[in-house]
Amino acid sequence: MTETRGGVTATTDRVGARPLPAGGGKGFRGGQRNPWRRLSLFYREIVAELRKVIWPTRHELVTYTSVVVVFVSVMVAIVSGLDYLFTKGVLAVFG
Amino acid sequence: MLTAFARAFRTPDLRKKLLFVLAIIGLFRLGSVVPSPGVSYTAIQSCLNQSKDSSVYGLVNLFSGGALLQLSVFALGIMPYITSSIIIQLLIVVIPRLERLKEEGQSGQAKLTQYTRYLTIALAILQSTGIVALARGVPSRLFPQCNQAILPSTSLFRVATLVVTMTAGTAVIMWLGELITDRGIGNGMSVLIFTSIASRLPSEGGRILQSTSGFVFALVCLLGLVIVTAVVYVEQAQRRIPVQYAKRMVGRRMYGGTSTYIPLKVNQAGVIPVIFASSLLYLPNLLSQMWTSNQGFTNFVSRNLTKGDHPLYLVSYFLLIIFFTYFYVAITFNPVEVSDNMKKYGGFVPGFRPGRQTAEYLDFILSRITLPGALFLGLIAVLPNALLSLTGGNQFPFGGTTVLILVGVGLETVKQIESQLMLRNYEGFLR
Repeated sequence: MTETRGGVTATTDRVGARPLPAGGGKGFRGGQRNPWRRLSLFYREIVAELRKVIWPTRHELVTYTSVVVVFVSVMVAIVSGLDYLFTKGVLAVFG
Repeated sequence: MLTAFARAFRTPDLRKKLLFVLAIIGLFRLGSVVPSPGVSYTAIQSCLNQSKDSSVYGLVNLFSGGALLQLSVFALGIMPYITSSIIIQLLIVVIPRLERLKEEGQSGQAKLTQYTRYLTIALAILQSTGIVALARGVPSRLFPQCNQAILPSTSLFRVATLVVTMTAGTAVIMWLGELITDRGIGNGMSVLIFTSIASRLPSEGGRILQSTSGFVFALVCLLGLVIVTAVVYVEQAQRRIPVQYAKRMVGRRMYGGTSTYIPLKVNQAGVIPVIFASSLLYLPNLLSQMWTSNQGFTNFVSRNLTKGDHPLYLVSYFLLIIFFTYFYVAITFNPVEVSDNMKKYGGFVPGFRPGRQTAEYLDFILSRITLPGALFLGLIAVLPNALLSLTGGNQFPFGGTTVLILVGVGLETVKQIESQLMLRNYEGFLR
């Protein structure tokens, strides 16, 4: 990742680094003008990144889903139980 | 798996945290049931029974756990707090003074929290005034079909008491939420929203079962399960960026030399964008309550922006979610900061120079990987509603937003409990 400028290796990060097209061919967008081509490039980059994503395995998916379903059902049960009690209580006091 | 839940309860300080959260949830629900002073409880109950269709205030009522239509002490729910924290976050970007406060660190953050609280109170006053105005009159606008007086007396003193009570209730909710964040498990704001939605779930499910056949109910449940799986799938997907740490000699010891990775989630923002977008979409509704003199505006809002199945609502909801996903990722993950930290500890991404280039690389990946995540969030939130409105039924509460929030918050909380268990060398539930 050395960018040479006039035969001198650029060693600083900040000074004068901006005018250069960023990145040495690592997929950073250069001076692309046509919006459609930029859009399609962006799309291809998204697909390329999504390929590198590590998706959960089937086993992981099943475990996480069941844990979440159990957790949510337990919470719904607790909350509706509380609600039932409180509604009865309030009805007894105000109703 | 269930033994892990039991084990979570057997660990002393984890049990303490869990019970603390449960106690706060209990308090929160109690306040959502206790009626405010000056409200006729019996009249409200009969009105609620008469008007089966609560979809007019659907989402707001859902987010307050049904407390809004009951005019209880916690009628406004956590909504004002959420709205004000969005507004403050947005203002940080716009107003330089707030931005400086944010960069100041701890003390600036405390100041910002203070502003958020003040704004919450202001919003709560506005909103409670709006609600009280809606509840006034004998066929009140809150329940147009009901002929009973919800507020038996509308003297200035009574109305002021109501407004003050509801505002104070909002302040208490805000405090409860912050207590959960500080001393319990999970993010207080999300946990309270979760509770509100969970409390609506049984009754809304029962309503669907009553109004339609069992077949449709099973179908809705199946759809819910599919959404749950999809949300978990995307929530777990990571883009791992390899990080190599340089070996260092400190004295006679060797340090570092390990390789790890930065996990970038496809959906880095979680469910926060959904919560933000839906509470922002409520703002026009609130405005129209305040500003009743402008009939055209009020009609426009109630026709297009209150019900969850109108095309305009769906489109703006979708766009807002995408905006807030990018916005929230930008707030919470700062590539420059991360790359600076890495540089400080001698880490680098292979192939990129530490510092600016690494930050640019991180930003490059983040901005590309967030778009699919944002589109996914938007689609999940919007599609079920669109489908349901096509079939004619308005099963709003079982839309994507509800499931998304329930699953997102559930997953987040379970993972936090899990990491607490791991801290104590137990195997968690997620093997």
